[in-house]
Amino acid sequence: MGAMGELLRRLGPAWATLLALLGTVLVAGLLLVAGGYDPFVAAGALVSGAVGSPEAFLSVTLVRSVPLILTGLAVALAFRAGVWNIGAEGQLYAGAVAAAWVGLSGGDLPAWILLPAVLAASAVAGVAWALVPTVMKLRLGVGEVITTLLMNFVGINLAAWAVHGPLQEARGVFPQTDPIAAGARLPALVPGSRLHVGFLLALVLAALLWGVLRWSRAGFVLRSVGASQPAARVAGRMNAPRAVFVAFLASGALAGLAGGVEVSGVTFALYEGLSPGWGYTAIAVALLAGLHPGAVVATGILFGALEGGAGSMQRVAGIPATWVIAVEALVILSVLAVDQLRRRVVRAAAHG
Amino acid sequence: MTPTVPARLQGITKRFGTVEALRGAELVVRAGEVHGVLGENGAGKSTLLNILAGMLLPDAGTVKVDGRVRVLRRPRDAWRAGVGMVHQHFTLVPALSVLENLALGLRSAAGGLRLPYAELERRVEALSAGTGLAVPLDATVEQLGVGARQRVEVLKALLREPRILVLDEPTAVLAPSEVQTLFALLRGLADQGRAVVLVAHKLDEVLDVADRVTVLRRGRTVLEAARSDVDLPGLIRAMVGSDEADPVAIGAFHGAETPVAPTGGEPVASLAGVRVRDGRGAWALDGATLDVRRGEVVGVAGVEGNGQHELALVLSGRVAPGEGSARVPGDVGFIPQDRTVEGLVGDFDLTANVALALHREGAYASGPGGLLVRWGALRRRTGELLEKFDVLASGPGVRAGTLSGGNQQRLVVARELEMARDLLVAENPTRGLDVGAASFVHDELRRLTRRDPCPGVVLLSTDLDEVLALSHRIFVMVRGRLTPVPEGARSREGVGALMLAAAHGRHG
Repeated sequence: MGAMGELLRRLGPAWATLLALLGTVLVAGLLLVAGGYDPFVAAGALVSGAVGSPEAFLSVTLVRSVPLILTGLAVALAFRAGVWNIGAEGQLYAGAVAAAWVGLSGGDLPAWILLPAVLAASAVAGVAWALVPTVMKLRLGVGEVITTLLMNFVGINLAAWAVHGPLQEARGVFPQTDPIAAGARLPALVPGSRLHVGFLLALVLAALLWGVLRWSRAGFVLRSVGASQPAARVAGRMNAPRAVFVAFLASGALAGLAGGVEVSGVTFALYEGLSPGWGYTAIAVALLAGLHPGAVVATGILFGALEGGAGSMQRVAGIPATWVIAVEALVILSVLAVDQLRRRVVRAAAHG
Repeated sequence: MTPTVPARLQGITKRFGTVEALRGAELVVRAGEVHGVLGENGAGKSTLLNILAGMLLPDAGTVKVDGRVRVLRRPRDAWRAGVGMVHQHFTLVPALSVLENLALGLRSAAGGLRLPYAELERRVEALSAGTGLAVPLDATVEQLGVGARQRVEVLKALLREPRILVLDEPTAVLAPSEVQTLFALLRGLADQGRAVVLVAHKLDEVLDVADRVTVLRRGRTVLEAARSDVDLPGLIRAMVGSDEADPVAIGAFHGAETPVAPTGGEPVASLAGVRVRDGRGAWALDGATLDVRRGEVVGVAGVEGNGQHELALVLSGRVAPGEGSARVPGDVGFIPQDRTVEGLVGDFDLTANVALALHREGAYASGPGGLLVRWGALRRRTGELLEKFDVLASGPGVRAGTLSGGNQQRLVVARELEMARDLLVAENPTRGLDVGAASFVHDELRRLTRRDPCPGVVLLSTDLDEVLALSHRIFVMVRGRLTPVPEGARSREGVGALMLAAAHGRHG
């Protein structure tokens, strides 16, 4: 192991992650300079746009963090069970389509009926989207990395087809749906801001997931199967396929719910390109959080701030918002690299 | 003639985190000798050998090769200095042929990109002729048994012409007859003037082959002596420390009492004509019929890979029979052969590893329908088990992967004895353990059959001495079939003859 590994071992995982973030900031700054932009102006715009005012923090950062937290929880849950669900994006779109459909056909049903129906429909759609890869994995032994990834394209195009076809607005001009019924909309969490009750829902689900993983027998079975299937089966006499089945579908439900919450809390309609890739960013959100549900809330807000600040950076500093996508990719790469290095160091130390 | 000293390790200290693996260990390697390094688990044997082979750097101390101080940062440095290592875990590519495996990492004398197969084949043949190391060069490694794979590893090391050959637990995976073959080979290598250093757990094995022994205890060298100057009790005293010297009790197979036949009663487990397929669809277990009663130890001896694992999985209720009927109890403890894969989760702490088996017990569940795990109670129980079974760990919160092999096995045994109210299935429970840890396991198995109410025990082992010492009834496992050993054949020779017959029947 090299000097870098030794350094990381001494630092421990938390500091190593922080170091990775600092390194990312440095590299991102250099990129900006190379592009002819003033990195300090850009950083200032990013920060003020994300957390510069209560309004920015509530209506931009936290609102954007909601789908990231929900899909991040979906990914964390699956990864904990050893299921490599990278299909949160497709499951989110399936959930969004279902939510829009129920929300559009709700008429004047009261919110206490319609809202739960919308959210339930989105979760069920997410489960349905995850069911195909789940069955292929358990019955046919097909790797879920490929199947979940491919199902993303089906999900994205399902939404595109819906807004061009059966669910398109009555005017038939834009590829989007009409606004969903008033009773299908999530109420505001903080009056006067765009922050909706979906944020609270995400926090509750994170706490619930944390409790289940930490304290319940089902959660322990799930973690055991994820950590080592042979040990879970032989030493734990656990039903590994059943744990995989449950975790996979629950993951799909959470990702589907992310789509439903976005439609009923923010956009009130379905349109093409609803998600800027939250289902993929979710992988970084979950990994950066060490697959811990509580930490997913924090990393979800962090990435929400990053995305929120991107908009203001574009307006104030004139930097393309796509640049932020590059930053996110840099963070993912550095986190994964640090994580792997740390594992290798821990393994090497344990071997002697 | 005084042998020359090609390598000398002095005052070696090595620390992993808070654990001091070595605290001033010494090792003097002499040419023309087989040198056995002994010690209990965690004594630092593997660490010391890894330092000699350039796998680890010592924190303090000097490594001298040919009288010069060397810093061996990586295995390549050790190779260059003339030290070759044969690893405990095989490093061969199963899909490649033996010759291709041997070619890995070698350079052509002529240079260039073409692999020097013809040249290599000539060298291997010369080596084989000189050492009696015969392996089929065209066979793929996956076709070979463990003994042959190990010979390939030795060949691989010898191709680099080391003057010092280091072997870390070479006998752990071998059947008794293969051990003899290996030792004859090592003897020959030493006679040609090489130095051979090996770690082995079983004392009598080391005494069979070694010219000289070094004993480590808790990271220090406590004894270095010529073979002719030491005896078994003396070595055991050196290994465990003079304060707990009771060599007869510690030497597991020496002076073990003859087992007394158990009383009758209803069987706790019974198999009738059980067949189980292996991964390739063949009948790995091919018609096993067996009753196990409380208070008895049923021993199953056999050469590796004759269906023992499948039998253990059926008996422990982990696998349903493909054919036939199996009635096994619910309260069954299972000590699986591969503790790091099937017995423990290395990334979990000790409490969670104990919980793997105990989490379904009523005492550790709470809430409606027993949905929640009582981690506090499990942590306390784990602490008690660590204490009771002498597991060397700083507490229940330690990751299982950081424990030494012997302590991992103590933890598995502790946990499974908790579960074994009706039946305990133990599969090679002392493989890879040192004398102290092995006799601990044996004592616990014996004690179990005297518990009230006592469970039945099935001991599946490739270690014949272990089966003979502990079992009331013995079976030999041959190609998935169980054959009872008649009382008259109850000896190393008798059972060995049956096992050898099986081995010959297999290849012939």
